[in-house]
Amino acid sequence: MKVPERLEALLHGKPVDHIPFLTFTLGFCAKNVGIPVSDIYSKPEKSFLAQLWTQEQYGYDTTPFYGYASYGGAEFGGEIKMPDGQYEQAPSHGKFSVYTEEDLAKLAFPDVTKAGFIPLAMEFSLLQKKYRMPVSLVIGGTFTVAGNVCPVETLCRWLIKNPDAVHRLLRIVTDHLIAVVKYWTDTFGSGNVDVQIWEPLAANQIISPKQFEKYVFPYQKEMNEKILAGGLHSLLLHICGEQNRNLPFWAEIPMGNSGIASFGREVDIATAIQYLGNKCIIAGNIEPSFIQTASPQELYKLCRVTIEKGKQAPRGFILMPGCETPVNTPAYNMFTMVKAVKDFGKY
Amino acid sequence: MPSVERSQELIKSLFESVINMDEDAARVISNAILNEGVDAYSAITRGLTAAMEKVGVLYANHEYFVPELLLCSDALYASLEILKPHVKIDTSAFRKKIILGTVEGDIHDIGKNLVKIMFEAAGWEVYDLGNDVRISRFVEEQKRVKADLVGLSALMSTSMLAIPKIIELLRAEDKGVMVMAGGAPLNRDIAAKYGANGYAANAGEAVQEAFRLLEAKSK
Repeated sequence: MKVPERLEALLHGKPVDHIPFLTFTLGFCAKNVGIPVSDIYSKPEKSFLAQLWTQEQYGYDTTPFYGYASYGGAEFGGEIKMPDGQYEQAPSHGKFSVYTEEDLAKLAFPDVTKAGFIPLAMEFSLLQKKYRMPVSLVIGGTFTVAGNVCPVETLCRWLIKNPDAVHRLLRIVTDHLIAVVKYWTDTFGSGNVDVQIWEPLAANQIISPKQFEKYVFPYQKEMNEKILAGGLHSLLLHICGEQNRNLPFWAEIPMGNSGIASFGREVDIATAIQYLGNKCIIAGNIEPSFIQTASPQELYKLCRVTIEKGKQAPRGFILMPGCETPVNTPAYNMFTMVKAVKDFGKY
Repeated sequence: MPSVERSQELIKSLFESVINMDEDAARVISNAILNEGVDAYSAITRGLTAAMEKVGVLYANHEYFVPELLLCSDALYASLEILKPHVKIDTSAFRKKIILGTVEGDIHDIGKNLVKIMFEAAGWEVYDLGNDVRISRFVEEQKRVKADLVGLSALMSTSMLAIPKIIELLRAEDKGVMVMAGGAPLNRDIAAKYGANGYAANAGEAVQEAFRLLEAKSK
């Protein structure tokens, strides 16, 4: 099967020749073709081609996409710094737009056609369409975007001391995210857009399951329901970090038919299948730092174990790193993961 | 001077104000401690330090999470601000020192800040270099401070590559320098592979690990 046929088949419940491999590669592609990592985020055409060529080189199932985890920072009026140093891999926060309740009161609903990096993301999606690749939109989960608008430490304090402020922030963030998706579906047609939602901040490394239930679950559920009601077939949710205690809630959040739930190394694939395997495709969970530091033999072995667990998923499995593939991943390790999928990924 | 029972009662209340994340109560009790003549140093060690040790355990056991830990630390600092100026003994000669920083290329500092709180609560002198700290800055600071320990934090799999470089440069200046590392992409094996003496999976375990390292060094 050719790209993107394999993934499309899996999403529609059809047989695949072997499990797909989504690489979560951005900066890695820049380094691979010899452009600065920042071009991935600031120069849509260079970014698109770097990803396209790298995909062609390795033959994995990821098609070019535009996205970064600090979405919402610039879109709500804050400042984002592009990666420019030897040890940087993604855009990061310069200045937030909300530090106080007064800032929150003044927070304006962004113009979804002009705010922050949205015009660059749209330019990228027009390239996806031009090259007949799947059109995608990457956004954060409601809680992660709230933490990109307001510093996480402030947000955490407000969870206990000022719940009203958190709800006000989550309301505007949720409405904005729904509006951005609508902008994409209005532009490309609802059946032609793949939406990815990345949610690292709701991890139990930060908040408790009770806080998840109170602040993440209702807004994320509402957002997904409204997006799917707009005609999208499915969503990819990257449920990043330690989320084991949140799994009962994630299992109640709609992801489409079949959506994809991708996990980090903290959530065992067998556990993910137990909670979400009957409702969506499971993806994951090769630890990025392991991809970067392990020998090819060690990585091949881990991929085999992971694939064998994943093949038990009733709606299918996708091998995927637990988060973005590191920029400095050895080339042979990328080849190793592709090889593992071909060697062990047949049903 | 208050009775032993009254002193214990006040210190217990101070302990509970931190555990209960009650910054206002921490202030009120701290003032009462001073007004009633309870020794400030004793209140800090038996009230505040003990409370943060308990908070560290609650955090490590997933009973408290980052929001709770931050509010406990707010109560801690509110009390310290009142009590510290009244500490009569000079602890500087025997206080342990640690340099902390999130490495170059990485702005994620929540983990590092939580670690800082735990070390300060345990009575360490903390030299916090902040986030996105250039490699040479750790070496310069260690030359200046001669800390017992250098703590390095990274949240990104790319930025963590700065850790072995920093350790190499620190060791070029002082072979015996003790380093511990932490952050989401790391584990004990990677930290050891990079040359760190120790590793802590979370802020709740960091101080214990530090004392373990210093004890091992002294043997």
